[in-house]
Order: sequence, then structure tokens, then C-alpha cells
Amino acid sequence: MASRFALIVACLALASPGYAEDRIQVVTTTTDLRSLTEAVGGERVAAVSLVPANMDAEDYQPKPQDVLRLKNARLLVRVGLDYDLWVDRPLAQVGRTEIRRGGPAYVDASFGIAVLELRGMSVGPSDGHAHGSGNPHYWLDPKNAEIITGTLLEALARIDPTNAAAYETNRQVFLTRLNAKLAEWETKLAPLQGMPIVAYHNSWPYFARRFRLDFVGFIETKPGVPPSPSHLAGIVKTMRERNVRIVVREPQEPERDVAFVASKTGAFVVKLAASVGALPRTDDYIALFDANVEALTSAAAKQ
Amino acid sequence: MIEPLLFLWPSFLVAVCLVGIHAYFGIQVLARKVIFVDLALAQIAALGATVAFMLGHPAQSPATYGYSLSFTLLAAVLLAFTRSWGTRVPQEALIGVIYVVAAAAAILLIDRAPQGAEHLKQILTGNILTSGFNEIAVIVPLYAAVGVLHWLLRHRMTGTGALIWEFVFYASFGVVVTSSVTIAGVLLVFSFLIIPAAIGVMFASTLANQLAIGWIVGTFTSAVGLAASFAFDLPTGAAMVCAFGVALAVAGLLYPFLRGNRQIAWRVMITAARWTGATILAGSALQLAVTPRADQPLIDLIEYAVPSLRTLYFTRAELTTFVDASEYAERYRNEAEQLNDVERRNRTEGAALDDFSVARISSFLKSYGEMRKGEQFVMGEVRARARERIRWGASLGLLAFALLVAPVPWRRLWVRAKR
Repeated sequence: MASRFALIVACLALASPGYAEDRIQVVTTTTDLRSLTEAVGGERVAAVSLVPANMDAEDYQPKPQDVLRLKNARLLVRVGLDYDLWVDRPLAQVGRTEIRRGGPAYVDASFGIAVLELRGMSVGPSDGHAHGSGNPHYWLDPKNAEIITGTLLEALARIDPTNAAAYETNRQVFLTRLNAKLAEWETKLAPLQGMPIVAYHNSWPYFARRFRLDFVGFIETKPGVPPSPSHLAGIVKTMRERNVRIVVREPQEPERDVAFVASKTGAFVVKLAASVGALPRTDDYIALFDANVEALTSAAAKQ
Repeated sequence: MIEPLLFLWPSFLVAVCLVGIHAYFGIQVLARKVIFVDLALAQIAALGATVAFMLGHPAQSPATYGYSLSFTLLAAVLLAFTRSWGTRVPQEALIGVIYVVAAAAAILLIDRAPQGAEHLKQILTGNILTSGFNEIAVIVPLYAAVGVLHWLLRHRMTGTGALIWEFVFYASFGVVVTSSVTIAGVLLVFSFLIIPAAIGVMFASTLANQLAIGWIVGTFTSAVGLAASFAFDLPTGAAMVCAFGVALAVAGLLYPFLRGNRQIAWRVMITAARWTGATILAGSALQLAVTPRADQPLIDLIEYAVPSLRTLYFTRAELTTFVDASEYAERYRNEAEQLNDVERRNRTEGAALDDFSVARISSFLKSYGEMRKGEQFVMGEVRARARERIRWGASLGLLAFALLVAPVPWRRLWVRAKR
């Protein structure tokens, strides 16, 4: 009885603001960056993501609570590349210069990333993708985590120099684990190399580059624009010609279009998570890849 | 030619079924002057579906349909009462409030759910393109039953009878809307409901004739909308709604010629066209004189259609710079596209590029993007300067042209001035 009471007290103490204030409050825009921040910061940071797990981060509407979170943030980490433009308004509202662009506590995680599919214009009639400043889904290449955690390490060391060595160690431990896992994922996905795949949204170029997967088409023409009949007919045609057996859908994407295309061609629908927490058993960055690799290999094994 | 037909004809059949029942309800709705009642009912149905969705039922399950239907029936009771409530607030206002509150409640409910935003968008735009025989198998018997019921009760469905008949009307309407909104979305269902009915009411006075006109127009317009969506690569629901809008505009324009005094109609039309033209010209003249560097929609449009117009007001040097810049911009775009293509193909073909090469491609792409933006800036600047130079002359010219186009009785004014 006494031990249980002690446990409850301990839990309450851990959850109390007093304890939380000791830790560095980091606000990230997405759960992926939260997971990577936790990997580098360890016990010393309390990271919170503005976009809840399993919501579309490209289309998020900030809540009043988010302004409060930004007010108390020691560090802001964002995806950049026009992915989380919605954070600019609450940032302006909070008005703290240190977490705004150029401030010491502002981290654009896309810094130093080799960006794919750059088109130079944010919206053009000719390009099929509205991510004009490059495809923003760069965290889906596990190798890019090395660069992102590097940027995070630098930022954390800047605001908390006394613990810089601990952050450095955390990052090394994480990267060692990640590289071991990466080798495992690469072996597991080797049979899928060159296998044609269709996805709903173009979230996967970095993932495809790392694991040498062939995404041959996308069901939507631009983010948020429903497919037109001729585009859908074109996709079905491509899928029949190239014998595409796998259609990738993220949990927040419309079920019907994907199911329609799959039923016309007899392909399997594979649910993949493009962000940490979007599906069950994707609670951190490494688990995210574990789950996706698992889903892809089991779908490929079914044929 | 065969392929688009194979692809579109299930959606077309669905559209025909929807037009069939909605044109009838549309005539009823227009007669009762409760135009937005379908939006309210649809949104209530969507709210029911949202509740079901939050409770974990899949989108197209019987449970979801049950929730939608019970919500809609509750709303039908409410709507039946609003007619006889007799406050000084018009019924349409209450219908609007039901719509807005139901929509807001759905947003509140869905806010924390995965697929939430997508679910709300789905309610609005629907998915007629991917619907087919599964849907037809459900809606044909359902709509037939509702149709028969209304035919049997045709002397009761006048909108002035006892409360119970009002309830039957709203309830059966709710049943129809609940099923149609999940297929076609709120926007398209509203078009199916109002536009064929409005055109029918415009040109006929008996219910049978109104229905016949509504059905023909609705079927034809659906076909045009679907074909346009295929031909021009457009989202289907939105393309169909716009096609219906065009149909109504055409019918409205034709009406005075078919039903009114043809001469007066011509005169009104020409006067309206002249005033519109004169307003656009005068506005453009003002825009050019006041802010020559801003967008000039009229001039831009004409230049887009006839690029040689630039030779009229560009100097030779400006023209050379402009053409050069546009060629360079195009070249940079091509180079960037090629690099993107190389990178994309390399993901699966040949030996993988190392990270350093990818980074190099990426920085090349960035540079090409910047260079292209630079050239586009030059083009804009050259054009802006040329327009600044001609602003007064050109805007005076446009203004004179506007006065010529405007249907002002110059001769009469001249005679009066002389006296």
C-alpha cells in the first residue's frame, strides 16, 4: 500500500510543472522532428509537436494552445521547405524574436539537406507538384536523420552549452542504432528494388532514393487536388502496363480513390505512415521505418 | 475514344439517377421557398456520419448510414415545425442556422481525428467519379420507393397541408439527400437539386413539363460536365457544378428571347454588353494611369493572345532584352527538368548516385531556380518600364475607346448642348 502511494506521488512529481521546467521546452512542428529531438536531447528536453500524430501536417490549422506552447518554447524546430508555412502566423503572434527566422532558438531542420525535386517556383502551371521549393518529405530518408540530428545538436548545444557533450553522446548512440537498422531495412527491401509502386501523394522520393524503389505515378495531381478522370484513367493504364501490384496510401488520405484504382487493377493497398505516430506501432523515428518496411515486405510477399 | 466512355459511364448513370430524383425535389423546394434546405439536411447527415466515424464505424457501413439517417430525421422534425412556428424570422434563416451549426459541430468533432480534414472535404466535393454500380444498386430502389410514395401522396405534398405531411416531405427528402451527399458531395447535390428544377420552372408551368425539362437539361449538363472534366483534366465534381452554372446562365440568357419581347431583349442585351465593355476599358485605363507597374489584366490578356502587340510599345532594345530573358528562363527550366529527371531515374536505374552527387544536383537545381527567377524579374521590369512610359497616352486612348463603346446618346447630348 505504502509503496503504491509512493509510486503515485513519484508519478505526480514527475508530471508536475516543477519537474518539466527543469527540462528544455522544445516545440517542433511535426512528430518526426519531435522524435529526433528526443533522440538527441534525451532526458534533458521535453519536446512537444504542434501537429498531433496522425494529422496532415501540410494542412494543419494552429490552435490557441499552440500559441501558448510557442510562448514557452526555448527552441522551435520546423520542417521548412514550405511544408509547415502555417507556423509563421502563430510565430508572428507570439512575437519572440529568438524563435523567429534568424533567431538563435529557431531551427529549420531542412538546413544542409540535399533537396530533391526542386522546381524554383512555388506554384507553376507546368509542374505537377506544388512543393516548388523542393519536396519536403526529406525525413523519410533515414540517412537524412544524420544531418537533421546534426542541426539539432548544434542548436541544443547553443542554448544549453553545459550539456553539449551529453547531447553529442546521445546523437552518436542514436546514429549507431539507426545505421544498424538501416542495413537491416535495406536487406529487407532489396527484393522490392525496381518494383513499380503507385502512391496517392508524392511523399516518398527520399524514401525511394534510399531504398531504390520505383514510384511510377501518383493518384493526386497536386497536393489537395482530387484526381481528374483522365489522370485516374492514365494511372490505371500505367498500372496495367507496368503490372503495378502495390498502391501506397497514408492514413489521412482518401480511401475511395485508392480503393478504386486498386480494384480496377487488382493491386494491393499498403498503408504507410509518412510521419511518426500516423499508424499504430510507429511511436518513434526508428519504429516508423520498421513498420513501413514491414508493411511493404509483407505486401510484396503476398503475390 | 472508347476508353473515356468506359471510364465515365458508371458515373454518368449515377448522375442520371441523382438528377432524376433531385429535379423533382428541387421543384418542390423552389415552390416552398426553402432553397437551402438540402444544404442543411446534407450537413446534418454529414454530422451524423461524422459521429459514426468518431465512434469507429467505417465510412460506407450500414451503421454510418443509420447515424446519418437518424440525425436527418430529427432535423426533418425540426424543419417541419419551423414552417408553422410563426415567428417573424423567415424559415430560410433557421435553415441557414441549422446548416452553419451542423457544419461547425462537425469541424469541432473531427478536429482531433485522423483523416478529419479529408472527411470534411469529402462531404463537400463527394466522389462521383469513383462511384458506380455498387451505388446504383442502392439508390435506384430507394429513389423509386420515394418517388412512388410521393406520387401516391401527390395531393398532400403541397406545402400547405397538415404538419405530418410536411414531416413526410422533409423526412423522405432527408433520406434521399443522405444517400446522395455521400456519393456526390454537398456542392454537386445542390446543383442537381436547384438548377434543373429552376430551368424547368422557368420554361413550363405544369409539374410534368417542368420535370421533363429538368431531366433533359440535367442529364445533358451532367454529360457535358463529365466530358469536360475528362477532356480538360479537371476534378469531376467541381467541373460538373460549373457546367450546371453555365447551363443556368444560358437558360437565363435565352429566356427573354423565347418567352419575352425579342426586340427588347436584344436591346437590353446589347446595352448591357456595351456598358460592361466600357466599364472594363475605363477601369483598365485608370489602372494603367494610376499604377502602371501593377498587373494590367486586360493588357496582359491581349498580350498573351497576341504577343506581337509588345512591338508596338517596346523599344527595340527592350524587345531584345525581353525575348532574351524569356529564352534564358525557358532554358533554365529545361535544364532543371532534365536534372530532376536524371535524379528520378537514378533512384532505380543504374548505379546509385552517392550523397555528394545528389547534393550537387540539388544545389544546381536551386541555382537554376534562382536564375530563372532573375530572368523573370528582368522580363517584368522591362515590361513595367515600357508601360510606365506609355501610361498617359495609352490610358487616354483606352478611355476614348471606352466612351465610344459606352451606350451614351452622344448625338442627343450634342444637339442639346448646341441649343
